[in-house]
Amino acid sequence: MRICCGLIGNLELAQRQDLYGSPVVVGAWEEEKDDVVAASEEALPFGVVPGMPLRQAVHLCPQATFVPPNPEAAVHLRELIASALYDLAPIVEVRIEGIAWLDVSGVPKPGESIRETRRRLRAAIGREPRLGLAPGPFSSRLAAARARPGRLIRIEDAREFLSPLSSHELPLDEEQLERLDLLGLRTLRAVAALGQRELESQLGRAGRHAVLLARGLEPDQLTPWSPPLFTSTHRQFDPPVEDREALLFVARALCGDLAVELGLRGAGAKEVRVRLIFESGSHEERDSLVRHPLSSAAELFGLIGSWIKEWWPRAPITELWIELPILEGAGRRQLRLWAGGDGTSDEVIAAFERLQERHGDEVVHQPRPALLSSPLPTRRFA
Amino acid sequence: MQDSQLDDAISAIRVRFGSQALTRAAELPPPQPWSSGTPLDRLTGIGGLPRGRLTLLTGSGTCGKLTLALALLASATHEFAHTVVIDNASSQGDSAGRALPGRRDKGESPFSFDPWALLAFNPDFGSLTVVRLKSDSAGEAATALAKAGAGFILLMGEIPEPWLGPLEAGANRSGTVLIGVVEAPGRAFAHASSLSLGFSRAEWIIERGQLVGMRTIARCLKNRVAPPLGESEFEIRYPQGAELFLQHRVSETQLQLAELECASAVV
Repeated sequence: MRICCGLIGNLELAQRQDLYGSPVVVGAWEEEKDDVVAASEEALPFGVVPGMPLRQAVHLCPQATFVPPNPEAAVHLRELIASALYDLAPIVEVRIEGIAWLDVSGVPKPGESIRETRRRLRAAIGREPRLGLAPGPFSSRLAAARARPGRLIRIEDAREFLSPLSSHELPLDEEQLERLDLLGLRTLRAVAALGQRELESQLGRAGRHAVLLARGLEPDQLTPWSPPLFTSTHRQFDPPVEDREALLFVARALCGDLAVELGLRGAGAKEVRVRLIFESGSHEERDSLVRHPLSSAAELFGLIGSWIKEWWPRAPITELWIELPILEGAGRRQLRLWAGGDGTSDEVIAAFERLQERHGDEVVHQPRPALLSSPLPTRRFA
Repeated sequence: MQDSQLDDAISAIRVRFGSQALTRAAELPPPQPWSSGTPLDRLTGIGGLPRGRLTLLTGSGTCGKLTLALALLASATHEFAHTVVIDNASSQGDSAGRALPGRRDKGESPFSFDPWALLAFNPDFGSLTVVRLKSDSAGEAATALAKAGAGFILLMGEIPEPWLGPLEAGANRSGTVLIGVVEAPGRAFAHASSLSLGFSRAEWIIERGQLVGMRTIARCLKNRVAPPLGESEFEIRYPQGAELFLQHRVSETQLQLAELECASAVV
């Protein structure tokens, strides 16, 4: 397993790119929940850490800019980043805390994937990410945390890399970390030297997990992000329109928007539905399943435009909806990745079978090498 | 003044024949390049061979076009889940396969593509499929596979004219890299191609009394994906013996590169 980790800072901070370079603390002044949600790198030296009360943060770093959290925007940004990274590796996970993991095992050109990851993360958040490449998510995150912005640290032996690091890097709560200190376990080497059951008896299941992490065994798996399998877009008309050309113009623009979204996800539409909503509130719709997933604006508009051209709406139209209820992997994703289970592969195999049915089995050959060396040199000069 | 008249004419055509009647070339999406790792990438002008378009490698016998095509095919087998060779050259009377030594040995085979010749380029045979059909059916096969989404298709001969349109449309939809190897393309085939590279051998490379490769001039005869970039000189080394697993057997000669650098510096 080879995991690439990109550290980009909490996504709440990426909402205010104008404040990059100065201390920023994200938190809401609410009665019951006034904890610090995120703090920029510039605020950390003052002792501000996520989770502490906001009043304490004000006391420690009064010159910081305090901004309220916007969880919806952060989730939206996470989805955008995940969809932007989706075609670079088979498994992608992005967290709000500002961690993006890509499993680049088996990718034919991992270097290109990592370079492109850096470029896309920089475009998404407006600053250089720190990158780490290691055998698992835990070690890759720690490697990335030690890299300079825009640089990559590559780790071959996770255990060797982890050994000298502080045991406070383990994902344990305050009380458990304090207990590790009391036990004299200050480095991951010391934790790794313990038996799993020994630490489990002290810290519970988290103890067993911590030992595995400290030994570089990477017990955690990534949670693969997958794009939603439905998307739609719509436009309201005020005043209602009756002109077909105007409808075609809007449909083309909507197809363009959908194509950009599909392109980011590496998806194609297997079903297309168009809904016209009339002034009276009633609606008409038309939908169709397509054999090959449609992913470009031209393909989508080719189908939708032909419908609109022959459609005779019975009243002025107030809304136009284009829905893609069934999405699946588009051909373009397979072109970048070696993904055996891709839907396109089944289509190609089916095409081979149809050829064999029509022209005989011997038409399609799959050569297999039987010799270890090339027969060329002996034959070329014979 | 002329611009406004042109805009008026364009808007008049759009009003009369519909908004799709005219499309500005600048609004068309450029083809995505597939980086093959050979000097051909620079010659195409977009940093790779265009996906979804037909690229032709042409030239008289023993000019290096098939060796180059085999190198591209071997590279594609590592990247795409399905690479296909449509072997229909014999029915066209094409001599692309003459450079393949294994062909004459077999004798009985009417087709030109010899998978053994590919072995020296270290391909991944798991993704390679060879389809052997007469020219009439080859067009249908190539179109079906391009539509289905095969990553790379190598055409060893010409495709009948009626299939060229559907083939290009299918490849464009799925982003298939289409390479055709022919000695002298027919008018329809040449017209259908977006990129046409002509090869002519400059000299053989003989080391220690043995033929080890050739120098060949590659000219960009047609380029619909980028401004044409003239010509370059390639040194193509035949894979053999200890060099079996060297990655870069095709290289641009240093002199040409130096000239290019000088030219760009002057510009």
